[in-house]
Amino acid sequence: MSKEVFSQISPSEFFYRNRDLAGFSNPTRSLYTSVREFVENALDACDHKKILPDIHLSIKAVDPEQADPKHYILTVKDNGPGIDPEHIPLAFGTVLYGSKFGLKQARGMFGLGATMAILYGQITTNKPVTVKSCSDGKTLDEFVMLLDIQKNKPVIQKHTTKEGSKTGLTVSIVLEGDYSKAGSKIRDYVYQTSLITPYASITFEDPSGEKFHYPRIVKDMPRPPTVIKPHPHGIDVETIRRMITDTHYQIPTIDNKMIDKIKKELSLKKNLSPKEILERAQKRWSDISRPVRTVISVMSFLDIDFEGLKKIRIDDIDVANRTITYWDFGESQSHAVELNPDSPYYKQLASTVQGDTLLTFLTKRFQRVGPTTAEKFCEFAKFKPDKRIGSMTNEELVKLADALQKFEEFLAPDPSCLAPLGEEPLSKGIMKFFNPEFAAVWQRNASAYSGFPFIVEMGIAYGGDIPPNGLKVYRFANRIPLLYDEGSDVVLKIVNETEWARYKIKGDPPLVIVSHICSTRIPYKTVGKENVADRPELERELKNALQYLARKLAVHMSRQGAADMAKKRANLYSKYVPLIAQFATELAGKKKEPNYNQLIRMGSEIEEQV
Amino acid sequence: MKNKSSAKTAETRKKRLLSLLEQQGLNIYENLDKGKFPQFVIPSRSVSNIVYDKKIRQYILGNASAVRSSRNMSQLRSYTQLAWLAFFVNRLVREGKSSTLRDIYYSSQAFSIDFEDQPESDNIIVDLEAVLTSPREEFHIFPEERSSVFGDLTIEYTVPGYEGKRMNLSDHPDGYLIGPSLSSAELVDTSAELVIAIEKGGLFTRFVEEKVHKKFKAIIVDTAGQAPRSTRNLLRRLNTEMGLPVVILADGDVYGEHIAMVIKSGSANAAHLRELTVPDAKWLGVWATDIEKYKLPTIPMTESDIKRIYDLQKDPRYQEGNWKKQLEVFLKLKRKAELEAFSKYGLTNITDKYLPAKLEESKSF
Repeated sequence: MSKEVFSQISPSEFFYRNRDLAGFSNPTRSLYTSVREFVENALDACDHKKILPDIHLSIKAVDPEQADPKHYILTVKDNGPGIDPEHIPLAFGTVLYGSKFGLKQARGMFGLGATMAILYGQITTNKPVTVKSCSDGKTLDEFVMLLDIQKNKPVIQKHTTKEGSKTGLTVSIVLEGDYSKAGSKIRDYVYQTSLITPYASITFEDPSGEKFHYPRIVKDMPRPPTVIKPHPHGIDVETIRRMITDTHYQIPTIDNKMIDKIKKELSLKKNLSPKEILERAQKRWSDISRPVRTVISVMSFLDIDFEGLKKIRIDDIDVANRTITYWDFGESQSHAVELNPDSPYYKQLASTVQGDTLLTFLTKRFQRVGPTTAEKFCEFAKFKPDKRIGSMTNEELVKLADALQKFEEFLAPDPSCLAPLGEEPLSKGIMKFFNPEFAAVWQRNASAYSGFPFIVEMGIAYGGDIPPNGLKVYRFANRIPLLYDEGSDVVLKIVNETEWARYKIKGDPPLVIVSHICSTRIPYKTVGKENVADRPELERELKNALQYLARKLAVHMSRQGAADMAKKRANLYSKYVPLIAQFATELAGKKKEPNYNQLIRMGSEIEEQV
Repeated sequence: MKNKSSAKTAETRKKRLLSLLEQQGLNIYENLDKGKFPQFVIPSRSVSNIVYDKKIRQYILGNASAVRSSRNMSQLRSYTQLAWLAFFVNRLVREGKSSTLRDIYYSSQAFSIDFEDQPESDNIIVDLEAVLTSPREEFHIFPEERSSVFGDLTIEYTVPGYEGKRMNLSDHPDGYLIGPSLSSAELVDTSAELVIAIEKGGLFTRFVEEKVHKKFKAIIVDTAGQAPRSTRNLLRRLNTEMGLPVVILADGDVYGEHIAMVIKSGSANAAHLRELTVPDAKWLGVWATDIEKYKLPTIPMTESDIKRIYDLQKDPRYQEGNWKKQLEVFLKLKRKAELEAFSKYGLTNITDKYLPAKLEESKSF
């Protein structure tokens, strides 16, 4: 087998070359994006450990006298769990290192953004990133690092350890930015983030030293999301291929590490003969791991010991033809050995190589798929339920992926991986922020599009301290405020399509709408992740939520209208009844006017006649 | 000389009106005093409630009526406007003063009764007409349009300052305006045996010059186009109080035909009123058939003329006899002739030839 000849590009280099995609196109946008990435990472870290977040954000100019764009020091400090010192260099010094690859709702995806911001800072100012972390409440580690872009590796310039008292993480970078232009967006971002994160306390100190403090409004954190398996509708061929060929089913590579693993699992203290090893393995079979079982099986068929194992490379295990093909490094030639189907190890190898049956694969690897559904699916997709997934050809995999998309009897995606804010915190946030005369919130039940679950939460607020400047929409996705590209967003579309006059809303109303979409994958229209696409399922949920709230508002408006009407009526009767009395007195030829006071009172009390 | 036998009818009608107004006033007064919301019952003037009464040969209102209540907030303003108008009319009639539609619109402002525009106040006047079943002329409210009368008719004024003064309407050759004082005057006596209503002022003058009033023992009335209500009321009184037959001369087109019809049997607009029609009035011409018969010069009809014919063909009064026939001929000709067309055969042709011929013909209608 030959080595790959084309050169690789490191992820750091890739992002460096494509930084526009990630929101680092100019000093204004870059400053804003960097703020977002660090604040969101901080909030995610706190959410994850159920710590009520306490976030401090500060932006300071390196030289305040200079004109924008100039160098700024951006610092974000949180009270989260911190990061183990051993992981810090990798977490902040390499791209694509992160723990967010599971399927659950989180603010950022994969944690790429923070490293991108560090990368951007380094490119524009050639200054290192400073990370201070305390993960045990005792020691505070401080790293000063640069990124080696070509090698995608951290270069630690300084590492000090001090005594610490509280857990938390502080990240500080120097970057080129334009606060005079980005300022209003950053202030909006902090304001809106506080609105959708009422359980957090957020402080922002801007370059002029002005402090914006948003205290904690609620003390309860929303239920955290759980990591779940994928839903069949959200799967493509590539994902299936990866699921099938992941380590679980791979032929293990035999190296010193693997041999150590085998020795450890079998508690081998001294060198035993292959026969003795097999005997030992037989006794502990149910306790040993799958890769070890596979290696033991190979050893049994080839009848070799560990030393022998080190000298070969297993190239193929062909179950259909019952042969193992291996390369012998010493002899530099290929060998084929026949498998005895009666051997107890044959089954082990067969299932390793061919993987689970389709039925098992479906029930084990996907959410909310039971044996009954899996069998129905096999019938639908015209696959045998006991078909081994490892034996599937490319065409069959495409067919399988296609059928997974089309089969309609899968249960809706499991929404337990979602973490909506909840009606009460949302309502409290709205009351605190807008002090409205009327407010209502609603959380819709979970729904799904293309196998991705989502929940829509919405709030509406009217009057009070809200200025009568017309309708204002605050858009959120996974607790992130969306500030750009408002015009093409699905929420705006729904709001604009609403006939507000039907809900007794006219002119430029003092009206605020807060929309929050939670999903394992928000269907953004663009890579900038600022506007949500109009998926029909999402559109329907948003519409239902808005109509429900608008109806509640209309009821309020009617009541309000009724009160105004009563006042108007009272005025009208006080104006007209005396006139009628005056005319009637002269017409009737009387001297004294009738006593009409009673009528004025009654007039202001009667209900409108239909 | 015909002498009216009945008592002074103008005075009678005035008393009836004042008493009606007082009743309304008392009704409102008592309601207010008892803490009840007063209301007016107004016969509905919607199209569905306007029907043609063959017996009395005019359009009348059906039984539907609307209540305008001071209890209903959306009606309170117009209720007050109506109460004000009754109050104001009461003053006008008692003080013998007259007013115009425009006057009313402005007068309201002195009493903080605000009409948005004149159409709104005009509407309230029609409401009061319907409530009291009396034409606005009896309220001393007149439109701007005026028509004239000439002939041997003696009247006695009832307006303040002229009470009891008599006047003969043949003393001034330009004729007399049919205004408030003439409308409220008593008709005393006449030597005439006929009333000729003519559509146009020009022809009216010609008729006076040609002494048509003497030759035909006629009172001549200029309707100045579609006859105003005061003129229609005078025609009716000449017919009923003085016992004179009424004949009508109008242009030879669909509008002329309808001028005659309105004098004879009223308009849908005034269906809430009586005593504005002369059911026995006769339309002398110019008929569509006269255009050919008298070889009159014609002009082509316009689109709206033709549309008007189709409209009138749906009117129940045009479903039979000469009225129906003439419409059909107009539609066939698609041409029209004015009264002046007779001048082609000499200025006096209409009075010397056409009028006598048609009067003779009318005896057989």
